[in-house]
Amino acid sequence: MADPAPSRPAEDKSLYTIRGLTKIYGEGSTAVHALRGIDLELYKSDMVVLLGASGSGKSTFLNIVGGLDEATDGQVFFEGRELTALATSELTEYRRNSVSFVFQFYNLVASLTARENVALITEIADDPMTPEEALALVGLEKRIDHFPSQLSGGEQQRVAIARAIAKRPKVMFCDEPTGALDSQTGVIVLDALDQINRELGTTTLLITHNVVIADMADRLLRFADGSLIEDRDNPDRVAPSKLRW
Amino acid sequence: MVILPGWLGALDRKLLRDIWRLRSQAFAISLVIAAGIGMVVMSFGMIRSLEATRDAYYDRYRFADIFASARRFPERLIDDVQSLDGVSIAEGRLTSGATLDIPGIAEPITTRIHSLPRAGMPRVNALVLRSGRRPNPARSDEVLASEKFADAARIGLGDTIEALLYGKKQRLRVVGTVLSPEYVYAIGPGQIFPDNRRFGVLWMGEEHLAAALDSTNAYNELLIRLERGAVGQDVIRRVDNMLERYGGRGAIPRSDQISDRFLENELAQLGQITAILPPIFLGVAAFLINMVLSRLVESEREILGLLAAFGYRSRVIMWHYAKLAMVLSLPGLVLGLMLGSWMGRGLAGIYQEFFVFPFLTYRAGSDVLLISCLITIIVVLMGAAQTVRRIGKLKAAEAMRPPVPPNYSGGIAQLIGKFKRLDEPTRIILRGLVRRPLRSILGSLGVAAALGLYVTSAGSMDNVGMMTDLLFNQANRADVNVSFAEPRDERVLFELERLPGVMRVEPVRYITATLSAGHRSRSESLTGMKPYGDLNRLVDIDHGLVQPPVKGLMLSTVLSKQLAVEPGDQVEVEITEGRRPRLALPVRRILKSPIGNPAYVDFDSLRPIMRETPLTSGAYLSVDPDKTDELYRKLKAMPQVAGFSQRAAALNGIDETVGETMGIVTLFNTAFSALIVFGVVYNNARISLAERARDLVSLRVLGYRRQEVSYILLGELALIVIAGLPFGSLFGYYLSKYLAASMSGDLFVMPFSLSVGTVALAILLVLATAALSALFVSSRLHRLDLVSVLKTRE
Ligand SMILES: Nc1ncnc2c1ncn2[C@@H]1O[C@H](COP(=O)(O)OP(=O)(O)OP(=O)(O)O)[C@@H](O)[C@H]1O
Ligand SMILES: [Mg+2]
Repeated sequence: MADPAPSRPAEDKSLYTIRGLTKIYGEGSTAVHALRGIDLELYKSDMVVLLGASGSGKSTFLNIVGGLDEATDGQVFFEGRELTALATSELTEYRRNSVSFVFQFYNLVASLTARENVALITEIADDPMTPEEALALVGLEKRIDHFPSQLSGGEQQRVAIARAIAKRPKVMFCDEPTGALDSQTGVIVLDALDQINRELGTTTLLITHNVVIADMADRLLRFADGSLIEDRDNPDRVAPSKLRW
Repeated sequence: MVILPGWLGALDRKLLRDIWRLRSQAFAISLVIAAGIGMVVMSFGMIRSLEATRDAYYDRYRFADIFASARRFPERLIDDVQSLDGVSIAEGRLTSGATLDIPGIAEPITTRIHSLPRAGMPRVNALVLRSGRRPNPARSDEVLASEKFADAARIGLGDTIEALLYGKKQRLRVVGTVLSPEYVYAIGPGQIFPDNRRFGVLWMGEEHLAAALDSTNAYNELLIRLERGAVGQDVIRRVDNMLERYGGRGAIPRSDQISDRFLENELAQLGQITAILPPIFLGVAAFLINMVLSRLVESEREILGLLAAFGYRSRVIMWHYAKLAMVLSLPGLVLGLMLGSWMGRGLAGIYQEFFVFPFLTYRAGSDVLLISCLITIIVVLMGAAQTVRRIGKLKAAEAMRPPVPPNYSGGIAQLIGKFKRLDEPTRIILRGLVRRPLRSILGSLGVAAALGLYVTSAGSMDNVGMMTDLLFNQANRADVNVSFAEPRDERVLFELERLPGVMRVEPVRYITATLSAGHRSRSESLTGMKPYGDLNRLVDIDHGLVQPPVKGLMLSTVLSKQLAVEPGDQVEVEITEGRRPRLALPVRRILKSPIGNPAYVDFDSLRPIMRETPLTSGAYLSVDPDKTDELYRKLKAMPQVAGFSQRAAALNGIDETVGETMGIVTLFNTAFSALIVFGVVYNNARISLAERARDLVSLRVLGYRRQEVSYILLGELALIVIAGLPFGSLFGYYLSKYLAASMSGDLFVMPFSLSVGTVALAILLVLATAALSALFVSSRLHRLDLVSVLKTRE
């Protein structure tokens, strides 16, 4: 670990506590050490950007913290509960009630319209927005009844963000959400994420290969070969619309 | 991951990995192909084996080409027949009915006794000696018995049995057991299923039988072997002429001989079933291959475009998928060949219960195997054709295109959006179904085909049940049925009435006659019946109970077709016994009779025609069940009684032989149909899973629970299966009906009956199979790795 942990606000703002998080794929000579003992504290309402070379372990980290994958070793605590000790069905409840995902390839259900894709979430959430509200947040109120095949890539990704946000999750996990988009469209998508983080205080973890995007974050984590090599705060957070690449 | 040798080309490596990946679907397809091929191998092989065995048997044991019978004709007539053009061997014999009293069996047993030539064994209808020895001509009591009868009635070599022969009691000693080509299918008069315990055949020395029948130097049956190429009809006509003055009853060709007719009928039925069922099985297999392959190609469109872009010729790529389809079905072929030969051997065993040959070995023959391979290749290529053609049209540019989500914006999909009450998972199910309507419909049709096959297989027992009901509950309700050696004065009925336990007696009269209309004619026996009888009634398969005709004839459907007559037409009747009167009678009604080829005439209008004192050929009795033993004892001693049958015993016999053996055949077919149900349902489920995996995993990531995700996957499957049920039931109904009709011939008409229970059971089986498939795929669904599915794009 290169940099010392930056000074942080009060302890009660802590959301995740991660201790010695390790992930090894395979066994013996073919074993891959995707994560080599990560120690980390994540805080409420932060916009965190994760950087690092391909294969450095970013997605693995995000998937474990998001409850999609299991760690080989180490612990992850979410609001004091140990995620790494939960059963599969309890992880499902965690994903259902507390967190949301946005992926590079949108993962919309092709047979549902924009509104219905969002409704997938609002139907199972406790205190959701209406699909219309969620779509309005990402500026898609006009395309509500369109199927994914009738939407552009950027629009599809914004539907995915609306779907993620509609249940008012505590945390949003975004794995290269702009990876498949051009820069202009990418900015629109990032804008939506930024706005949600500011207005609703949703903690956001965002993986990107684009260093420029780090400027819109409160905090930056850099991975290399399964280890965290940089962890720094960004006091001068800028709006996505100011970013250029 | 399988390690593959280095010399394999990249495409072939892909092929093998694809097969490994598709193994569970390949398994399901293989089962269906195995069922189809197994049936082909089993039935074709069986037909082959039966025909070859029959031909060899008939030839080696000189089965007669022509059978004639008369009241009594002199021995010297044989020489005249022998000298006829085209006659190779002519042999006369005496034949008589008799009843046996066998220790351990309460009721009298009906037998037929043939004479053995003085010279030794018969030259025509030669006997296969199975155990013991020939009777010593010097000993009057020595007889041969048919092997199956001796076994069933537990008559050992050297055992003595008591026979009532032509009114005389006689002790007979069985010294050998034999088989005869004449009794491959050995049934008693009026029966359609063999009952070896209650019908037997004996052979005894000619002199001794002649003495018993008071018939020295005379015969009553004539057997003829023809020379190669001789015209049977010519010989029959001449023989009829020669026998006319001796009370000839009309000679018949081999094809009208009862045992041969049943054998021929069985072969025809086997052919029918082979023509109907395997094509359905194989059609379903082709459909499954199509489903799997088109799904595979769809998911590999980009790879295909890429290969094309790299310069692979489309022919090579098409061949790749055709090969894949063939390798996928190879295990099915092998399994089918093995299964077919195994079941063929089993079936041969069952056939030997009914059809008695000295040997019957099931042999499929290399050409049957070759044909099976060819059929499989054709089926596979049929299944693969559409997909492979589509590959040929694919453009390299497809690979470069960015992924576009499949388009669901069609009209019906929009309509589903209008139903605000639907939840989103249900919408996913419905839109998925309507987006590929053809696939969904084919899926349902596959389920329907499988259900229909099951209903048909299981339903064949219903038909037999209905047949038994018609014969033994509707038509013949008598407890006991006796027949006399010669027609008797009706006064014998009073004697019967006085026997212990007899509650009711109804007479019946059989008269041999030749019926003709125009240039067509048939030798049949006319059955005379009393109107409003209670024990022996006429049933029409379609119309139920029918009263005997008044002043005229009632003909079976088959007979009316053979004579080309309809109700109202006149039929020339030449009675071939007694005073041999000729007369014309109107056809009053056509009867769809369950068995045989009867012609009925009413008892009272028979008498003036015959100008004889009232005679009766036999009687139907209803009996007090407590007094049967006593009655049987008396009947065994009654000299007039030559034949005897007992309803309960006949029913038992049917239950034993038919119930068991048909049960096994039905079990085979039912197991096959169950395989198909499984193959279709499981494949549907697997393909749904493959297509939906990404969506379903996305939902899991979003926090959907297992059951909620399973609902989408299984909901679609459930709809496809449920939609198939009504069609399947209908299909099964019509297929059963068709099969029953095609099994019917001039020997018997298979009634059609399908019980609700059978259909319900079939539906239950489909649902259970669907549930099992659902269990499999949903456990697979839950094993899917959330992360790895999301890593890839569609
Ligand atoms: N299912 C798996 N089996 C084996 N190894 C895996 C698996 N998934 C990931 N890895 C390995 O783990 C390491 C970390 O992968 P991860 O996907 O977390 O990287 P990443 O930082 O997200 O890379 P990228 O920026 O390319 O997405 C890599 O070396 C990868 O090869
Ligand atoms: Mg990654």
